Amino acid sequence: MSAIIEIKNVTKEFKVLKRREGLKGSLKDLFSRNYKIVRAVDNISMQIAQGEIVGYLGPNGAGKSTTIKMMTGVLEPTSGEILVGGNVPYKNRTRNAQEIGVVFGQRSQLWWALPLIESFRLLKDIYQIPDADYEEMLKLYQSLVDIEPLLHKPVRQMSLGQRTLSDILAAFLHNPKIVFLDEPTIGLDVSMKAKIRTLIHALNKEKKTTVILTTHDMGDVDALCQRIVIIDKGKMLYDNDIAHLKRFFGSYRTLKIRVDGDLKQEAENIQKELPDNSVSADDEWISVLVDEEKASVMDVLGCLQKKYKIRDMQLEEISSEEVIKKIYEEGVQ
Amino acid sequence: MKRKGFGFYLRIYCKILAQDLKSKMSYRADFIISTIGMIFTNISGFVSFWILFRNFPSINGWSYYEMLFLYGFSLISLTPVQCLFDNNWSLRQYVYSGDFIKYCFRPINLFFYYQSEVFDIKGLGQLAFGIGTLIFAWVKIGLAFTPLMLLKMIVFLLTASLIMIALQNAAAASCFWIQNSFYVLDLAYRFRDYAKYPITIFTPVFRFIFTFVMPIAFIAYYPSLVVLRPDAVPMLSWLSPLIGIAFFYVSYKIWMYGAMKYSGTGS
Repeated sequence: MSAIIEIKNVTKEFKVLKRREGLKGSLKDLFSRNYKIVRAVDNISMQIAQGEIVGYLGPNGAGKSTTIKMMTGVLEPTSGEILVGGNVPYKNRTRNAQEIGVVFGQRSQLWWALPLIESFRLLKDIYQIPDADYEEMLKLYQSLVDIEPLLHKPVRQMSLGQRTLSDILAAFLHNPKIVFLDEPTIGLDVSMKAKIRTLIHALNKEKKTTVILTTHDMGDVDALCQRIVIIDKGKMLYDNDIAHLKRFFGSYRTLKIRVDGDLKQEAENIQKELPDNSVSADDEWISVLVDEEKASVMDVLGCLQKKYKIRDMQLEEISSEEVIKKIYEEGVQ
Repeated sequence: MKRKGFGFYLRIYCKILAQDLKSKMSYRADFIISTIGMIFTNISGFVSFWILFRNFPSINGWSYYEMLFLYGFSLISLTPVQCLFDNNWSLRQYVYSGDFIKYCFRPINLFFYYQSEVFDIKGLGQLAFGIGTLIFAWVKIGLAFTPLMLLKMIVFLLTASLIMIALQNAAAASCFWIQNSFYVLDLAYRFRDYAKYPITIFTPVFRFIFTFVMPIAFIAYYPSLVVLRPDAVPMLSWLSPLIGIAFFYVSYKIWMYGAMKYSGTGS
């Protein structure tokens, strides 16, 4: 498998003015300035193959957007090498732009006043898409989503969901090798999210487009990504497929039970009996986190059943959301 | 991929323009009000000019009709900047909010793509008004009309436009470096009011500034001399096409340099 995106030891530093406090400090800043170097991206390397969907995750301010901006050619890396489809993005911004599509969840790139179909026609000219390819793409879109009502509506009259959908369609229109989606489902309702995930999935499958997806929504990750890359404070924490990650934390399961009496009180009692497990309670359930490498869920359940009358129970696998949270908090040991 | 030459950009521009006009005209009230506003702006500009010359029949050896000629000339040469480069006024907001980044992802020239987004039709009224004034003054002064004259007029009008465009580009691009660039842009905009007066009425200091620092004298004065005072055309008049192109090129480079330096805000 040849890599479509190659990132080698990339670092990006910003010079940030160290502001002094108060009015006096501001006055001082006018005359003498202290800069400090902030490393937004710190020695990151990865290879992404054609056709992959990669979830690019990290808490706010981790350096995700900076990496995307370097891959799209808006920013020049301080050191290291980036190759996107054989191009050095910063040096060949226009040529690179021909090969990629970009969607920023909150910022539409379409012409505000124009109906979607007119935007498509302009994009057809700008990207010099041959007629046949253009028609074929429109047909594909028609088979995937109900675009008829969108086509003749000016972008400014669209709902956020329709706009995002339109932006995604526009980004794929010239059949780019890679599409960058920056938080595409932000602020959307559940059904729209599902629609957009299905669309991205179908386009990736149909056109073999590589998709780089940043998101805070684990639903996106679960629905779309085989592989995830996690960064925090500019450093790469994790780069592997999602199944592997789950396996890593997979021995953890959460046993939820409901008993008579005050749940908070009972949870404290259970905690005393099971010092190895973390026990918590909410309004409905008492949750017991069980590491199956130490004791099986059945054993724990049996032990509890002897002392308590269990009214109801649930067993939960650890979700990717919890896994990611654990990584943000503790890192991968 | 085919090469993207002048024809490519012209075709794209025309398509965007057609779409933009179509959508603007669909907002009828908006269209009518801005048309009326434009007519009144032009009339009031002309009236204040007329009142001034009721009281001073000539300024520093420049007759009423010659001044009118300058006035018409400046109106025409200010049209392209008004029509084609009006989006410069919004640049500040785009940069401040981080929305400017959306222009960075298309495989076409960034400057072109940004400016193509807005076409201000209000400028067309100004153009009509300017042409009317210029022809009226031309006839009243009794200037000869030859194809060569017409050609000269067109060349000098174009270069005069380039100067104003260059000034505005450079002023707008200041927002890539400073936060409150509105004042820079506004200053450049206000200075163009002086363009319609012969530079000889100013003190030497301002004459120098308007020629070499803020070259607004090239918007109407120096180019008009070629037509109005063919016997005593200063060197600077003949140089104005070159100066126009040079200034435009420099301002374009400044604009692009700023845009490339721009890294966007986090999202």
